[in-house]
Amino acid sequence: MIRRRPFSSLVIVLLLALLGWAWHERVNLQAFPDIIAAYTAKEYCSCRYVESNPVDYCQGYVKQYVPTSAFADNPEKRLVTASGLGRTHSAQWLGERQGCRLVP
Amino acid sequence: MPCEFSYMVKGLLCAALLFAATAQAETWPAKEWSQGPQLVGPAVNALEDYAFPPRDDVTRKGIRTDALLVIRDGQVIYERYAAPTTAATPHLTWSISKSLMATVLGVAFGDNRFKLTDSAARFYPPMKQHPAVTLADLLHWASGLDWQEDYEFAPLKSSVVAMLYTRGRSDMAQFTADTGTFSAPGQVFRYSSGDSNLLSATLKGMLGHKAYVDYPWTALFTPLSIRSATWESDAEETFVASSYAYLTARDLARVGLLMQRDGRWGEQQLLPKAWVDFNRQPFEHYKPGQDEAVPGGQWWLNREVQGAARPWPDAPADTFAALGHWGQALYVMPDEHLVIVRYGDDRDGSYRHNELLKRVLAAVAQQVQP
Repeated sequence: MIRRRPFSSLVIVLLLALLGWAWHERVNLQAFPDIIAAYTAKEYCSCRYVESNPVDYCQGYVKQYVPTSAFADNPEKRLVTASGLGRTHSAQWLGERQGCRLVP
Repeated sequence: MPCEFSYMVKGLLCAALLFAATAQAETWPAKEWSQGPQLVGPAVNALEDYAFPPRDDVTRKGIRTDALLVIRDGQVIYERYAAPTTAATPHLTWSISKSLMATVLGVAFGDNRFKLTDSAARFYPPMKQHPAVTLADLLHWASGLDWQEDYEFAPLKSSVVAMLYTRGRSDMAQFTADTGTFSAPGQVFRYSSGDSNLLSATLKGMLGHKAYVDYPWTALFTPLSIRSATWESDAEETFVASSYAYLTARDLARVGLLMQRDGRWGEQQLLPKAWVDFNRQPFEHYKPGQDEAVPGGQWWLNREVQGAARPWPDAPADTFAALGHWGQALYVMPDEHLVIVRYGDDRDGSYRHNELLKRVLAAVAQQVQP
């Protein structure tokens, strides 16, 4: 089998290894796509409403290698929402002492 | 010289007068810091060449200092900011927050709310999963919990990213307590933001929720006249002691002065001297090279351990620091009477503590010996 179909056998072995790894890391893999949206919403909110930095600075400040697909800041509510890798998260400014927190 | 008397009584009187004069000469910031003789001359240019090179906000490469503040004998001798950070910006301190939480805990320690040998589970029940972990172990980042601290380089496996942004964010202490172990507690140093957030949760257990949410202010910030502080918390209202305290450079320097003077603020011994001694005592099982400086009790030390050189060879051995992600630093040099706050946005790790400290010390020496 391996001698007759060396390429297919290798692909199957690699695929099995990948599936094994994905199963092993299933908890981390499921949470992974949330990072960029949550990071962007939280750190932008704090940059803008805790540190009171300008909009363009904060946009540059939160920029990462992984792009975000949508972004909205509601200055009246001080609510920041970001999307990336198919997930969306928001951070809310709560007060002078409390700063920003991700909305559950 | 008024003290050239040979009589013992007069000599003693003279000593007392001199002591009173020294005590009087000790400067403390009131509502604002007072200004001392400002650093000037070529050594300051050399310092600024290092700390404030032309800044590229597109590539974000190189050293990007947001704030540099030098305090000598309780007075400002140098201060500079890079836009948009100003003297009024409560800058994110990242992991300096850990040392701040340790300082808040020091006030609770002085009120006999806990002992270093107490188990964390005594104040935070989810730690019953790890009943042998003590407060001292958490303060040494030696809980033995199997924590992965990487930020950017291993985001999939990073415990700290999961704690702050995904699976742990609503209850960071619980997330940490649910971590497995890799070692017996108190035996091995492993830097962990989780350990710091467990400390935050134990403080809540000591005080009760209501007193806890105001405690950093009542215990530390208000006595030091710190007015800029923000400290973000998770959904359980547990302070994110690992990462999310914000202070102006001037306000952070107040904590530095408190530490420089062994926990005393004016007439008040706010932290027991024994607490500051603990903060500054190297963790006995730390192995040279495990981290960029030597861990004490949630502070970083410039000490020789097991024959290895000091982490910052150009700074005195009594230097200690609170350090945070992307170049945040609060350095304290008690013998030099210096406190240095450095805020930054270093994205590439090219900033060197030793190089900055060397250049600050050169500028100070130039001023002291004209």
